[in-house]
Amino acid sequence: MGASANPAMAANPYQAAAQAQMGAMGRTAQGLNETAAQGMGNYQNPYENQVVQQTLRDVGSQALNAQNMLGAQATAANAFGGSRHGIAEAEMAKGYTQQMFDQANRMRQQGFNTALGAAQADRAAQLGAAGQLAGLGGQAFGYGQSIQQQQLQQGAMQQAAMQGLIDAAKNQYQGYTKAPQAGLAALFGGAGLTQGTQGETKSYQPGLMDYLTMGAEAGMKIYGM
Amino acid sequence: MSGGKGGRQNNEVTMPAFAEKALQQGVGMAQDVSALGYVPYYGPDVAAFSPQQQAAFQGTNQMADAFGMPSATGQQYMPQAQTFDGGIQGYSSAPAFDQAVSELAVRRPGQADYLGSFTVDPVTGIPGSRTPAQRPVALEMQGGRKGK
Repeated sequence: MGASANPAMAANPYQAAAQAQMGAMGRTAQGLNETAAQGMGNYQNPYENQVVQQTLRDVGSQALNAQNMLGAQATAANAFGGSRHGIAEAEMAKGYTQQMFDQANRMRQQGFNTALGAAQADRAAQLGAAGQLAGLGGQAFGYGQSIQQQQLQQGAMQQAAMQGLIDAAKNQYQGYTKAPQAGLAALFGGAGLTQGTQGETKSYQPGLMDYLTMGAEAGMKIYGM
Repeated sequence: MSGGKGGRQNNEVTMPAFAEKALQQGVGMAQDVSALGYVPYYGPDVAAFSPQQQAAFQGTNQMADAFGMPSATGQQYMPQAQTFDGGIQGYSSAPAFDQAVSELAVRRPGQADYLGSFTVDPVTGIPGSRTPAQRPVALEMQGGRKGK
């Protein structure tokens, strides 16, 4: 038998099944020791540092503006450089610093969670695809088996028909070669029918007295007695 | 002729002549037929595998190959099927039969000759030495006449 009649079908179902199974097994095996953390690097925002730095600069600018305003207010109140001015500046700096930390933490936490989620989703999707690949491989295997089963069934029907022809020819041949015996049987059958037709032959073997009697009777006729 | 005077009455049941003749013909024919011997059959006995079956066999090989398992690819187990008249494709037991008969003649020639002496020579048609034709027996007619 030649290759598949469908030129687009490069591989037979069994090859497709084997390839799919190998691919699925490989990816699944890879996933056994794999964690989402290994894939997180692919989903880290490459501009995260720039964004965080910019945010820190923005907060820093706000802090500088607030410091200038505080200085102006202190100057107007003739308290610039005093202890109260110092305390106010320190409290303000503390607030802005805390704000910068909070902003940076929140942004980096968000980036981590996003990358972790994406990596987990990616891993789940790949494992799911591996499972689907295995399923498709099994499906291809089933197609092959189903086609093969059909071929076997149809082939067996064809072979049975051929065997029927052969058996018929053999029967005829046996009839031909057994013709003399058949003729003989017919002949004996006819003879058997005639066996009921039995004839009967009666015969008489004369004795001494018969011959004496016969002689006496002949003498009486001769002598006119 | 009267009886009871020292004579003897004989009653014989005999087959009619036409039936006896038919029986003789039958016996003669049976003797000839018995020397016929075995008539071998040289036609196909078993149908060949169909193309569909061969395709399925190839599929099994492809299945094994695809999964790296041993297969029968390229191996031929069955003999080449013969094509007979009428497009019948099959296998004949005749070659094996002929070989067995020849082998018997080689290994046990005495027995083979003895076996062959009961039938005609399958090639020349000459009756074997132990056929009824080589040992004729006169078939006596009795019908309608006194027997011996």
